[in-house]
Amino acid sequence: MSVVTGLDLVDDQLASCVGCGLCLPHCPTYRVTGQERHSPRGRIAVMRAVQWEGQSLDDDAVESLSTCIQCRGCEPACPSGVPYGRLIEGAKIAIESDPSLRQNPRWLRPALRMLGHHRLLLVGSRILALAQRIGLFRRRWPRLPLRGGPALRSSAADPDVWIFTGCVMDAWSRPSHRAAAVLIETTGSTFGVSGGGCCGALHAHAGLTADARRLALSIMRSMPGSAPILVDSAGCGAALKDYGHLLGTSAAAEFSARVLDVHEWLAPRLDHLIPVETDRRPTVIVQEPCHLRHVQRAHGPMREVVALVADIVDTDDDGLCCGAGGAFSMLQPELAARVRERKVAAIDRARADRQLMVVSANPGCAQHLGAAGVDVVHPLEFVADRIVRRNP
Amino acid sequence: MTLIHDLTAGLPAGAVTIDRVDTMLYAHDASDFVGRTGAVCFPETTEQVCHVVRTCAKHDVPFVARGSGTGLAGGATPLDGAVVIVLTRMNRILEIDPINRMAWVEPGVLNLDLTRGVEQSDDLFGLHFAPDPSSQQSCTIGGNVANNSGGPHCLADGVTSAHVLACEVVLSDGSIVLLGSEGSEDDGLDLRGAFVGSEGMFGIATKICVRLTQNPPHVRTMLLDFESVRAGADTVGAIIAAGIVPAALEMMDKLCLQAVEAYIHAGLPVDAAAVLLVEVTGLPHQVEAEADLIARIGREKGARHVRVAQDEAERALLWKGRKTAFGAIARIKPNYYLHDTVVPRGALPEVLDRIYEIARRHELLVLNVFHAGDGNLHPLLVFDRREPGVLDRVHAAGEEIVRVSVEAGGVLSGEHGIGLEKKDFMPLLFDDHDLSAQIAVRHAFDPIGLANPRKVLPSPAACGDLRHVPEGAWI
Repeated sequence: MSVVTGLDLVDDQLASCVGCGLCLPHCPTYRVTGQERHSPRGRIAVMRAVQWEGQSLDDDAVESLSTCIQCRGCEPACPSGVPYGRLIEGAKIAIESDPSLRQNPRWLRPALRMLGHHRLLLVGSRILALAQRIGLFRRRWPRLPLRGGPALRSSAADPDVWIFTGCVMDAWSRPSHRAAAVLIETTGSTFGVSGGGCCGALHAHAGLTADARRLALSIMRSMPGSAPILVDSAGCGAALKDYGHLLGTSAAAEFSARVLDVHEWLAPRLDHLIPVETDRRPTVIVQEPCHLRHVQRAHGPMREVVALVADIVDTDDDGLCCGAGGAFSMLQPELAARVRERKVAAIDRARADRQLMVVSANPGCAQHLGAAGVDVVHPLEFVADRIVRRNP
Repeated sequence: MTLIHDLTAGLPAGAVTIDRVDTMLYAHDASDFVGRTGAVCFPETTEQVCHVVRTCAKHDVPFVARGSGTGLAGGATPLDGAVVIVLTRMNRILEIDPINRMAWVEPGVLNLDLTRGVEQSDDLFGLHFAPDPSSQQSCTIGGNVANNSGGPHCLADGVTSAHVLACEVVLSDGSIVLLGSEGSEDDGLDLRGAFVGSEGMFGIATKICVRLTQNPPHVRTMLLDFESVRAGADTVGAIIAAGIVPAALEMMDKLCLQAVEAYIHAGLPVDAAAVLLVEVTGLPHQVEAEADLIARIGREKGARHVRVAQDEAERALLWKGRKTAFGAIARIKPNYYLHDTVVPRGALPEVLDRIYEIARRHELLVLNVFHAGDGNLHPLLVFDRREPGVLDRVHAAGEEIVRVSVEAGGVLSGEHGIGLEKKDFMPLLFDDHDLSAQIAVRHAFDPIGLANPRKVLPSPAACGDLRHVPEGAWI
């Protein structure tokens, strides 16, 4: 039986849900199971029962809370502005703090630890890619790149902006970083590179706060000064923007204030980017990652940047989550796959039998959709391939 | 054999639960009436619904159907350990027939998903499902049928009953009947008409044939703001008296504007005492003429500004503000309680004055956001349940509001249903003969009395396990 008697959540935040149910259709897990326990409204009621009515945080309650993807699609849908992300984050911390309830599988903690050891991660990723090639590793993952190309290097000692390269992003999607670099240089600016390092987003999601804080401090040290910090992964960007809350220090808040999604920085500088002349302007399907759309609310700038070189087709699902959710797709594979089915169906409807590319500004979404056979490219790569390069 | 064992036998794995979290979550809808859940079932087919209903009959246990649980009158609250039949997994649009402008749907289809599904299937025809409750993004068609739901655009288009052609219904003995028909009206009694709005007491609709409505060729949406609520209310009557029935005619008062503006940032006039949101539809010349006349009437009655939505985005934003108003209440106080009485349009100014006076006397905040065109009030009493004694004041004020509305020639409910909330007020409106006639109709549909019993119709029996929020508990 649980030893947790409360969740240590902020009472006023917990009280701010009126239970109207307008969040329900915006919740990916409720959409697939149709169960109140898998909805934001239901999960808040569970948190209230534990925090206010002395209900125990038993397996039943934990199932309801731990199946939340933390996409935060419910937040923009909530007229009362319930800070659901904060509430569920607090609940997950409470769950992980109790050894008898811990949901994370044994392998998760060491696996997440590895994200903080960049060289090891790069080597490990290469081995995994090799294993896939010789058929040793048969999980339904998309093929990992055997070689990501050379690591990005700073273009100036005192750069105009920083590019945050991250952990998995640097191992798997260096082309995105290079595309960001090309676009930044084309606008006439110089960039510095953070070097390998994990932002701690997955740790924070899994309730491993101490690990997340340690990583955050290390990231902050890697990009000193006052230059803007540009991030090309929506999940990492959301995490970096939240360091002020995670660490609770003014230094962290100042650091977070410097963080921008690359598209946010590029959108006001589009005058510097000249599309390559073409007979037919391409059409592309935009998948808006939850951490870009719901959390950073920076999908507008991303669309502006893409619209420079292509016409955009939207999916008709109001930006419902694809089911990736950081480590969620590995922790709850069955639920994540059902959520993904809806997204793939929405993409198919948007395609309407045309050969259209899908762009997504988050590596987790790209991997998760890739495993279902959807080819996804990062919007920065898509755009960088279609503008006149300054330094070819 | 136990009830649970028998229920499980005819349903897919995991479709029956008595887990504590589920029984807690399904013990109430969006109102604050908390009941007691016997079990929760998630059927996926009509046959599975029949199985659950037959099993309930065998064990003499009541059942209650539920969609998204957005109801505000306790209609889906289970009493006496009733089995909650959750229809969210029956959410397929079965058939769309654009030529005959109708569609067959399962009850768990969300209201807005139906219109979207129609658009996806063929947008050439430009059709939609007309009833548009403010909760339309979340509420189900089944729930709309049960409550005969309205919505802003029902002023011109009519409420749900006018848009339901037929229902396949599972009765409490497990038999399946078809009420109404796709084609012209049936001979005999209009049982479909009786079923729509019966709040789950007559049976469970498992398939619904809805009418689809042509999108209007031209739309104009305008916002008129006033320095007094009375000036706004007078304008409502004057618009209708001038011979215009707008597609929608809504009022929001100051407190409501402030809560909503904090969410949508649409530049709403938060210093106004009230605004009217008016929409006119039709052919371009007609729309322009009506919009001009409405603006002129508004100015004569004291409107400070008339804002006309310049594009579809602005129009959508104004409607988003109106339709999310209830949900935005927590920006003022964490709880609300509302009635939805309907009063004759001519009585609106007087009744609104009385409502503000009642709230003042009970030291409560009241916020008005409602379908002004058809006199359907939604006075929301907003409060913080953690404040001692506040619930008594809220209920006392609520009762006074109902009495004032009925005295003004009004009725108890426009669209939310009677449910548990208003059933004790039924004698205000109906005498014993009326009520026994209603009970007889109910008995004809459900002779064993297991379909959502002890709702709507007042019964002398005390409600043993119903609690109007126990001390210290939260829902």
